Amino acid sequence: MLANLIQPKVTPFLERLLQNCDDIHAALVVTVDGNMCAMQQKKDYTLERLATMGSSLMSLGDTITAELEMGACNNIISENEQGIVAFMHINDKLVLISITTRKNALGMLLSHSRICAQNMALEIGDL
Amino acid sequence: MKEIKLVFTGSMGAGKTTAISTISETPVINTDVITTDEVVQRKETTTVALDYGELSLDETQKLKLYGTPGQERFEYMWPILIKGALGLIILVDHASTDPLNDLALFVRYFKPYIEETATVIGVTRTDLGSGPSMQAYHDYLQKQGLQLPVFTVDARSREHVIIMLQALTAMVEFA
Repeated sequence: MLANLIQPKVTPFLERLLQNCDDIHAALVVTVDGNMCAMQQKKDYTLERLATMGSSLMSLGDTITAELEMGACNNIISENEQGIVAFMHINDKLVLISITTRKNALGMLLSHSRICAQNMALEIGDL
Repeated sequence: MKEIKLVFTGSMGAGKTTAISTISETPVINTDVITTDEVVQRKETTTVALDYGELSLDETQKLKLYGTPGQERFEYMWPILIKGALGLIILVDHASTDPLNDLALFVRYFKPYIEETATVIGVTRTDLGSGPSMQAYHDYLQKQGLQLPVFTVDARSREHVIIMLQALTAMVEFA
């Protein structure tokens, strides 16, 4: 199962993401078909269902951008009363989901998450 | 034009995406992604959010066809998609290891909806499996206090899918 293979490779990246950015409170890597690979968090979220929901949302994002011929879907951002959730592709099989409870931390969330996703993609290669 | 929302549900690999693609007049919107777990041995892709297509029955009626993901971990999509639907099609993969159990899962989940409005059962891939008899599906439904039409369907056959939908829309009209 891909999720089991990926878990040890991406966990150090998630740990560093949460260490390097105080504003990020949780991050997880999931497969595009909704299996949890790895997660790190500073709070006590239940993230299993979010893993599956993230795959649905990312796929809808890809479908919408394809419909509009806007190229690849880079991010999906959910801005909420009590925080922000960002979804982005790591590669064609994996999605990074990152969460902040600070409403004004969108820039930090996206920039740190994007760098983390790129580094993970390099580490994972063609797996 | 009168629009009727119908929802295709059922276990993974039962043919929901195929059935909608077979009959839709518009390019089907789908959210299929590659499978990365043990399912890959059976299927290369799986629906993770929804399928959507459209079919005009005549100049006055258009069917809006929604497909749900089949895997249970996506069950949060099921109530979202069933909202406002006037008919439900439960597809059962006859060649799966336990098709009656697959049917039971969806009947259990959608029971409040089934009791309120029109539902049909479509049994697919009957050429591939030595599953239960058609009578066994009827018997199961009867035990649940349900009297629903059960069709043998090839999801790749436009004729098969249309016949099933005609039965369903007739039930919608007389409900």
